[in-house]
Amino acid sequence: MTTGERNSQLELLQGTLDLLILQTLAFGPAHGHAIARIIQQRSDEVLQVGHGSLYPALQRLLRRGVIVADDGLSENNRKARFYRLTAKGRKRLSAETSKWERFSNAIARLLSPLPDQNS
Amino acid sequence: MEAWQARRKRLEDEMQAHIDLETQENIEAGMAPLEARQAAMKKFGSVSLASDQSREAWGWLWPERLWQDARFALRTFGKNAGFTAVALLSLMLGIGASIALFSVVYGVLIAPYPYARPNQIWAPAVLGPKDAVHGWHWYSQREMAEVEKLPAFAELMATSVRPVLLTSGINPENFYGVFLTGGAFNFLEVKPLIGRTIQPYDIGPGGEPAPVVVLSYGFWQRFFSGDLHVINRSITLDDVPRTIIGVMPPRFGWWTNEAFWLPLRMDPKDPSGLAVIVRLAPGVTQHAAEQQLNQLNIQFAAERPQDYPKGQLRTILLNYMDITVASGDMSASLHLLLAAVGLLLLIACVNVANLQLARTTGRAREIAMRIAIGAGRGRLVRQLLTESVLLSVVGGALGVLFAIGATQLIVALIPPDYVPNEARITINGYVLLFSLVVSMLTGILFGLAPALRSSRPDLVGTLKDGGGAIGGLRGHAVRSWLVVAEISLSVILLAGASLAVRGFVQILHVDPGFQPERVLRIGLTIAPKRYPTWQQRNALDRTLLESVINLPGVQAASLGNAGLPYMGWRSSFSISGQPPMDGRKVAIALISRQYPQTLGIPLKRGREFTDAEIESGIRVALINESAARLWPTGEDPVGRTMQIDDLAQAPDNPQVLAAPGVAAGVTVVGVIGDTRNAGIAEAPAPAVYLPYTLYAPAERDLAVRTAGHPLAIVNAVCLKARDLDKDLAVGKPNTLDESLGEETQQPRFNMALFSSFAALGLVLAAIGIYSVISYNVSQRVQEIGVRMALGAKRGDILKLIMRMVARVVSFGLAVGLLGSILIERLVRFQMFTKTSFGVIPLATIVVVLAGVSLLAAWLPTARAGNLDPVTALRHEA
Repeated sequence: MTTGERNSQLELLQGTLDLLILQTLAFGPAHGHAIARIIQQRSDEVLQVGHGSLYPALQRLLRRGVIVADDGLSENNRKARFYRLTAKGRKRLSAETSKWERFSNAIARLLSPLPDQNS
Repeated sequence: MEAWQARRKRLEDEMQAHIDLETQENIEAGMAPLEARQAAMKKFGSVSLASDQSREAWGWLWPERLWQDARFALRTFGKNAGFTAVALLSLMLGIGASIALFSVVYGVLIAPYPYARPNQIWAPAVLGPKDAVHGWHWYSQREMAEVEKLPAFAELMATSVRPVLLTSGINPENFYGVFLTGGAFNFLEVKPLIGRTIQPYDIGPGGEPAPVVVLSYGFWQRFFSGDLHVINRSITLDDVPRTIIGVMPPRFGWWTNEAFWLPLRMDPKDPSGLAVIVRLAPGVTQHAAEQQLNQLNIQFAAERPQDYPKGQLRTILLNYMDITVASGDMSASLHLLLAAVGLLLLIACVNVANLQLARTTGRAREIAMRIAIGAGRGRLVRQLLTESVLLSVVGGALGVLFAIGATQLIVALIPPDYVPNEARITINGYVLLFSLVVSMLTGILFGLAPALRSSRPDLVGTLKDGGGAIGGLRGHAVRSWLVVAEISLSVILLAGASLAVRGFVQILHVDPGFQPERVLRIGLTIAPKRYPTWQQRNALDRTLLESVINLPGVQAASLGNAGLPYMGWRSSFSISGQPPMDGRKVAIALISRQYPQTLGIPLKRGREFTDAEIESGIRVALINESAARLWPTGEDPVGRTMQIDDLAQAPDNPQVLAAPGVAAGVTVVGVIGDTRNAGIAEAPAPAVYLPYTLYAPAERDLAVRTAGHPLAIVNAVCLKARDLDKDLAVGKPNTLDESLGEETQQPRFNMALFSSFAALGLVLAAIGIYSVISYNVSQRVQEIGVRMALGAKRGDILKLIMRMVARVVSFGLAVGLLGSILIERLVRFQMFTKTSFGVIPLATIVVVLAGVSLLAAWLPTARAGNLDPVTALRHEA
């Protein structure tokens, strides 16, 4: 596997993962493990994301200012960092979501059988 | 940095908490604790990768990685202390020697002068049709005025040197004062340390100079101990009190760094020669200026034919940097030494490259492992490069320390007069920059190749087979070539050193033709105005010589000019009854009766001078054997006459008084043995010795052969001189042994530097050759095991390995010897004119290098031969 190939895969993954994280946080603050679990459940276990790759994505989003982190306590009473969306993050989420919807609609239309074109 | 650490810690804690939560969930789902934890970790993936990538998102990873790489490199170096020591030693010696020599080259060849734009200063040379350039032309004052009017020149200055007697010191002393035209200091553009320089207004409208003097730093320190209030005080020079107007900084050394500068008397009738230098007017090419000046020179030659070459004249403008710097003996030696130090640096670099290559090959499994667990190629190359750059920077730093010591040593070794007065040799910014560039380049260049190579391994093969795969055949071939390179470079270096040593030894063994032991030499100068006639001067000389000869402990004494032991004055001549000798010249010396005994030169034929001949200045001559061969073979020159052309003219220096009557003819009365009168390394020049009374200059040289130590008689001689005239200036005494010693300084310098470079080179090459060959052999231990398992005997194995090593070594030796022979041709033109390689030094070099290489091969081979085949087979190098 060359570096170039790996990079393009990563990019695809990154874009998707970022969106999924923002989507998850739209319902309220969550810590890393919760985000991972929610994404896994909501994608019906289809998206096989190593939980580890969540953290680079979170750091990236923090740096862009679309999310912020607060210290808090987790379910088992341990110190945890809770991530929540910023105003900028919400705007970003809606923009990205509509872009994603346009994209997935286009894909769906391409993949669905021909007669549907007329509907 | 602390915030950085805290941030990192928090991230890692967070990830740890994540795994803990997952584990707990798994346990709640019914897994066993251990299984639960494993499942959680599997789900998470690599913690360190995630951590790395997270920090990459912070955008700070670059310095962190550098720091990490550097720390890792330091750890690896610590683990490979032997490798690190050899590599650092190689770099230290190679880079250190380069810096030291580059410092000398910078100080002597690149930036020797404090003068403004020294590369735009030109000096004229006038040549006949076939002459080679041998110096610059001396113009008379009237000619100089014409030259100055040429439109091609923007500025002109002239310099003239003559002896000046200082009488206001404790003892009278003779100096070579430097006389300059009014604009000279403005031409050179050097500011005085204190006071002011000579200005055009210091020379009056009638050409008469103001009684002012500018002191050199050396004179100021010696006579005034650096007193800042020296301005407006006066010193008496040639009986004239002169006001001190300025002191020059130590680096200003225009024609002297121990005397003083005076304004030149402008007198169109003064025939004595001036050294003229010019700057070109803007837009004028060198060629155009030469054309204009040549027209003028043709006119001058018509008026003053005796001072211009015969035939069609050519005029060349010589660049001042070229004539004074690049033509010196020092420059030839420095270029050669620079080449030598270049070879040394190459050997050091080859060593480091070799070590790096061998080491990365040895680390093939480590590297393959790191690639297998996800290290990128770029990351790996960066890691390996960090290691080699770090190594070379540390090596460079050590090299700078080494260079500081080495530069001081070289400066101490440099013979006087071989570098310009003005040159200052120090390790400066440029040199440090040079060293930084050299060490970084060494690191990058010689770290990159092994780094690139080892990051492209065949992973599966390497992990499976052990170390052998990466080194493989290609690594092996590269290392063999490096060994060839190293051997041939050190052969060349050693051969060069053996030339220098032979040159030196040869000079030590030259028979000078005289006996230099126990001969004292003192320069004596009279105040010319107090002895205005030829008779008065000769009377003083005779009385002085007699009283010195009668001193106890004196075996013989001689008074005269030149011939102690070298001769400078050359005159054209002809021999009665022989065809004219076109262009040939004889050396002339003025001597008193005991000259042959004083110097210990044997009389071969005829007789010596008589006291009567000396006293009345009769035109008789002794000649040396080389001059005797100017007559046809079989003819005895004794009793014949020859014409010395210079004797036919009045001396052009007004301070030199000639014997009454002007005639060129002299009668040969005797022949004495040849001496090395043109320098110890040169063949004896034909020489003619005349009675000293023929000319009475202000300065004389006294030579005294003593029974005891020559310096023990100095005070007695000085007292005798003062008795006769308290203002008689006595110069610094020295011995003939000392003057001969000066001759050997230059070859001694070459030899010392060349052989130390060669010794360093040999040590480096031996270490390098040993480490590479023994490494190569140990890499083949597995192969040896296979061979032995298949039935090969120990002897067979030894033979196999030795044959391989012998092939590489003999190829290296052959290339080196070939290179040395080519270089010898070059060197021969440069300095050791009469030296060539001896068979013995070359054979020694071959034996030493071959011995080191074979020993390096023998030890690991013998070890391999002793191995149990099973162990050897399992061996993972």
